[in-house]
Amino acid sequence: MATEKKPEHDDFIHIGPEMAVAEADLLPEETGRFVHGTSLWRDAWRRLLKNKLAVFGLVVVVIITISSIVGPTLIKRVFGFTPDYIPSHDLKLTRSFPPFQGPDGEFSWAHPMGTDNAGRDQLARVLQGGQISLFVGILSTLVSLLIGVSYGAIAGYVGGRVDNVMMRIVDVLYSLPYVIVVIVLLSMFRSQTPRGQLILLFIAIGSVSWLTMARIVRGQVLSLKNQEFVLAARATGVSNARIIFRHLVPNTLGPVIVYATLTIPQIMLTEAFLSFLGFGVQAPLASWGSLAADGIQNIAIFPWQLIFPGVTMALTLFSLNFLGDGLRDALDPQMRTV
Amino acid sequence: MFRFIVRRLLVTIPTILVVISITWVLIKLAPGNFYSGEKPLPPAIEQVIREKYGLDKPWYEQYGKTMWSIIRHLDFGTSLRYQGQSVNTIIKRSLPVSAAVGILAYLLALVVGITFGSIAALKQNSKWDYGSMALAMLGISVPNFVLGPILVLIFSLGLYWLPSSRWGGFPSKNLILPVVTLSALYMAYIARLTRAGMLEVLRSDYIRTARAKGLSEREVVIRHALRGGLMPVISYTGPALAFLLTGTVVVERIFALPGLGNYFIQASLNRDEPLIIGIVAFIAITLLLMNLLVDIAYAYLDPRVRYQ
Repeated sequence: MATEKKPEHDDFIHIGPEMAVAEADLLPEETGRFVHGTSLWRDAWRRLLKNKLAVFGLVVVVIITISSIVGPTLIKRVFGFTPDYIPSHDLKLTRSFPPFQGPDGEFSWAHPMGTDNAGRDQLARVLQGGQISLFVGILSTLVSLLIGVSYGAIAGYVGGRVDNVMMRIVDVLYSLPYVIVVIVLLSMFRSQTPRGQLILLFIAIGSVSWLTMARIVRGQVLSLKNQEFVLAARATGVSNARIIFRHLVPNTLGPVIVYATLTIPQIMLTEAFLSFLGFGVQAPLASWGSLAADGIQNIAIFPWQLIFPGVTMALTLFSLNFLGDGLRDALDPQMRTV
Repeated sequence: MFRFIVRRLLVTIPTILVVISITWVLIKLAPGNFYSGEKPLPPAIEQVIREKYGLDKPWYEQYGKTMWSIIRHLDFGTSLRYQGQSVNTIIKRSLPVSAAVGILAYLLALVVGITFGSIAALKQNSKWDYGSMALAMLGISVPNFVLGPILVLIFSLGLYWLPSSRWGGFPSKNLILPVVTLSALYMAYIARLTRAGMLEVLRSDYIRTARAKGLSEREVVIRHALRGGLMPVISYTGPALAFLLTGTVVVERIFALPGLGNYFIQASLNRDEPLIIGIVAFIAITLLLMNLLVDIAYAYLDPRVRYQ
């Protein structure tokens, strides 16, 4: 608790209840030194590290993210093929080989997840699919953060009739079967290029997933806006926009981060769902959803085509959910007493 | 209460019309037409088609005609791909399939979810608690289009116990795999919600009172704790229904069931405009009415909730 470091200004943001007795607990040789509290973030980080499942989630997410990013390049360096490389060896009965097996049935390190119908390496495809899935998950979450935080903060800060109307709109949007509308949107405006379809996917998912975020931020802002620091800011002539985005929004960051972490797996699931139905990511690009959709057609003969992308995706979502739960326990003050 | 229901219904009807209008606008804004294919049609034929489907009229006339027949007669017109079949017939035919799978899945999820959630709460921090919560997390994380095929792989292709697909009438073995696949996610959510709700309630004063007056533990849990602890589960019914509807789309696709979801995907891919609008409207109506029912049930069950 007591360190030799000189206390910095930041360290006084949050002093937990345990600090109140800290001075009495000091050993004789420590008296006279500065005692300072841990910041909210350091405190939360410590709590997170105590939660084994959350740490497991964090580690898995980091591993999968890094291998998705560098994996395809690494495979190209080592084995010399890209995710869309189709081998040109003599056509056998099939080009889809089980894991760790080469074209002649011998053991081989080249395809640890086997190959797909065209003979493409599954590991490289799954890693490339991971890039797209994570990319869509993170970017759409950022879009929903941007819209949701601004919308909720404005509604909460302005209040009154504006707040009422803005929140009624959210209520109405909430009750819509939005996935159904998204399917109509994606199928009607089906883009000719894979990149265009991907952009359409971002717009479609991002524009419907900000509702809960708006509600959470509004609730936070409502409870913050009557506190002294806002009054002080207003008294010194700070503009409303600046109060919202420089004073209020940073204070809602805890719940926002927690909810964003839990939004990523939801969005990845929606993306996979849409890609699985054939409305999302299009070939030659691949996502875990579209790989699973390809795999399900050959499930009786080549089960590995479904199992590897499916299990990778489930593992990622599993870890993200645990991480989100852990973050909530670590950051949410109400949960601390439980 | 009565005024609350009337007011909610008054909001619900415009909402449904907005959903239908959004769908209509999306379809009309989209490039191309339902009849346009790879090759352009000869102008004379195109002219005939446009006249037959009223596409030569200005947009407001088309919109007015569609909306009027929906409002006046609940008539969504005739499907463009399933020749000679009205949208209403198709919905009537496919609804029982989706409803059977959906309702059974929700019931299964309720029974299993509440049981495991209650056990986890009553034996907090025990093996049971950790085990069922880990299972629940698994249920939330494994997408249904992965779970379904894996179940098929095990129970149909491996053990030959259950049929892998197709509709086999109402009580039939064919229903087991789709229902289990669809319910996994809700089971998991309901177990988590029940556990959280029960944990909160078990600490409350009225449970202490019930125990103090000498009720058996069984009585306390079933008569008192469950009633309060299940409130989050009831308020989850609305969102669950929305998820269930989207879930059936995937499950019907995996197991080749002729339900609403499957028709909806086909209609979207074929650009069968009246059928798309019909199914979207039907889903919106179901969803909004169910949400209203949930709110009413909530008010009856929780004496603290009062609607003006």
